[in-house]
Parts: sequence; structure tokens; C-alpha cells
Amino acid sequence: MQLTRSSGKRDGLTPALLAGGLLGLLVGFYLALSAPPDVNQGWLVRIMYLHVPMAWLCYLAIFGTLGYSIAYLVRRNPRYDRMAAASAELGLLFSALTVLSGALWGRPTWGVYWTWEPRLTTFAILIAVYVGYFVVRSAIEDPELRANASAAIGILGSINVPISYMSVKWWRSLHQTQTIDLTTGKVNMEPSMLLALMVNLLAFTLLYIAFVRLRGIIAEREAEKLEAQHG
Amino acid sequence: MRSLWLALRDLTLEFRGRAGILSVVFFLAVMLFILGLAFGPNPQDLQRAAPGVFWVALAFAGSLLASRAFGLEIEDGTLDDLLLTSGSREWIYLGKLAFQLALLLGVGVLLLLITAGLFYLPLGPWPWYLLTLVLGTLGYAAISTFYAGMLARLRGREVLLPLLLFPLVVPVVLSAVRATGDLAGGVPPGEVAGWWQLLVVFDVVYVVASGLLFPYVLEG
Repeated sequence: MQLTRSSGKRDGLTPALLAGGLLGLLVGFYLALSAPPDVNQGWLVRIMYLHVPMAWLCYLAIFGTLGYSIAYLVRRNPRYDRMAAASAELGLLFSALTVLSGALWGRPTWGVYWTWEPRLTTFAILIAVYVGYFVVRSAIEDPELRANASAAIGILGSINVPISYMSVKWWRSLHQTQTIDLTTGKVNMEPSMLLALMVNLLAFTLLYIAFVRLRGIIAEREAEKLEAQHG
Repeated sequence: MRSLWLALRDLTLEFRGRAGILSVVFFLAVMLFILGLAFGPNPQDLQRAAPGVFWVALAFAGSLLASRAFGLEIEDGTLDDLLLTSGSREWIYLGKLAFQLALLLGVGVLLLLITAGLFYLPLGPWPWYLLTLVLGTLGYAAISTFYAGMLARLRGREVLLPLLLFPLVVPVVLSAVRATGDLAGGVPPGEVAGWWQLLVVFDVVYVVASGLLFPYVLEG
């Protein structure tokens, strides 16, 4: 197996992406605070400027984990395994944040912290899948088996997302409970609100790429250190 | 072909041993009994809870049975012999899947009868229950067999297996519960077909994906 030594070179792209993301976050923060309140939800709508980009980052993380897991199984390059793990880590963190910010938004808007809304339920399932991913990663010592097993969990877990979404959606629609539309207030969006949201979405996208690359570099150095210790 | 022989061998061993399968069945009977006490004694409440109770109980049984798929191989050290056979390793997965499916179906039918008795589940549409049972257990076994094989030699696999398994089978349990509940409530099978379609999609996707991934995760 050839050891990839990209850490020896200076990686200019990651800091640039990180800086761009942080700058975007600042601009987005300013725009979100200066945007007008929503007709229905008032100032509460500001949670959306964080909640939606967080959920968006989760979708990126699902695709990233799926892509890197498949890439690992095809190319057998340990770098892809580290990237998949980095992406899953972000997925776990941000799906938890999405559920949390959603609960904080849901309580004043709908009066409940939790509802069996398809997206919400899917995110909860996603958290459980990612937790399993990391528990298994920590349980397996052999690096190659660990990479294979986590790639498998990453792929199976990612395929599961659309299926669980569909199943929960049907389950609810036949249940005839109260219908809560999470997209309320976003249909006729004020241009300044849309701009703030878009800037935040862009910032979170840049941050996702930067974080995955950064985490990949850290994991690579850890792996190199471990290899140096063992001979 | 080899897969079927493997499944047949495992079934023979399982029934010769008896202890494993019997303890699973009795565990389920006790579980249903306790759940019946918890939800009862009003027949309407019990009937409403029946489909959920049935599938959740089957899911628990499945996670117990799944560790049996590779447990004996590890105990007797025969997994290495299986791995030594020529050709690709997908057939091991398919054989174990057939074994798991047979066990789950057997336990499922028994469980259905017990649920019908304790929870007043009407057995009228039983052919459709069986269809739901086949589709549901196939999807469940596809994942449980895969993870059981992956975790076969790991320490703490008894805890890891349900942790990995249950989040993934949410769509299976959900669709199967709804299909069973609708059938029990007298909904014509034509209107339940959507749930079966979802189960079929799930089964196809996961049998194919797990079969393809299985050779990678088998240790050794």
C-alpha cells in the first residue's frame, strides 16, 4: 500500500475554503439579522437562517459519506475512508444540531418540541445510523476491516435515507393527524430574506468542504503517527 | 445451489440443537404475554396494539436469531473453512439469508398465532398476512444477516447488532405494521398494495446492496 503524503505539501485550498465559509457566515449573520420579520412567525423566522443551512449540510454529508465510502471500496485508498468518516462526523454533529434547532423553532411555532414529521423522523433515524457508524469504527482494530465495515454502514445508511423518508411520509399521510408544513412562510419569501438564506447556504457548503478536508488532514496525520509508532 | 445447501445445513444444526430456537420462541411468548398485560385488558386496545406488538416482537426475535447465523460457525471455527471455498463469497451471504428467512418465517407464523390468540387479531385475511410476513422478514433478514456476518468476530457484537440494525429497519417495521393493521381493520388488499410495494423496493435494494458489500466485510 502506498502512503499518500499530501500532508507534506502545503494545502492552500482548505484554509481558503474555511476563510470563505467563515466570511459568508458573518455576512449571512448580518443579513439574517437585518431581514424583516415573517408575517406569520415574526422574529422566530430567524431560526430558519441557521436551521435550513444546517439541514442542507446534513444532505451534503450524506452524499459525501456515500460517495467516499463507494470510492474507498473501489479504489482501496485509505484517504477515502478518512474522508468518509470526516463527512459522517459532520453529518452526526449537524443532524443533531438540525433536530435541536428544529425543536427550538417548533416549540413556539407549533407548541410542540417534537412532531412525527417525515423530515424530522428521518433526521432522528439518521442520527442513530451515524452513532452506530462511529461505535463500530471504535470497536474494530484492524484498519482495513474497519474501513470496509464503515464503508458498508455508510452506504447502507445513506440508501436508507430516502426510503425512511418515504415510509414515514406515507405512514403520516394515512394517519390523518394534524398536517404541519415546515415550509410555511418560505413560499413567498422576501428578497432580502432569500438573500440571507442563500448566503448562509453557500457559507455552510464552503464550511462543509473545508471541515471535511481539515478533518481528513488531521486523521491522516494521526494515521501517520500511529504507523511511525508501530515501526 | 451451494447457498441452499448451506441454509439446509444450518437449519438441520439449529433444529438438532433446539436450545436456541426454543429459547427464542419462549422469550417471545413471555414478551407477548407481558405486553398483553400492559396494554389490556380492553379487547379494543389490544386489537389496536396487535400489529405493532407483533412486528416489534419479531424484530427483537430477529436480532436474537441473527447472531445464531454466524454464532455456530465461530464456535466451531468453521467460518474459515467456508471462506476457503473457491469463488466469490456472495453465496455465503445468500445461504445465511435463506437460513435466517426460514427461521424468521417459522417463528413469525407461530408468533402470528399467539398474537391472534392474546391480542384478538382477526385471522380472516391470513394469506395477505403471510405475504406481508414474507416481504417484511426478507427485508429484515437482508440487513440482520449482513450485520451479523460483519460483526461475527467482534467483541460486544450482541450490543452492536441491534444498534446498527434497528435504525435501518424502521421502514420495514413501519410498512409491515401499517399493512398488517390495515388488513386487520378490514381494508381491502388492493389498498394495502402501496405498503407491499414499499417493502418490495426495500427488499430488492437491500438484498442487492448487502450481497454486493458482503464479501468486503467478512473478516479473514
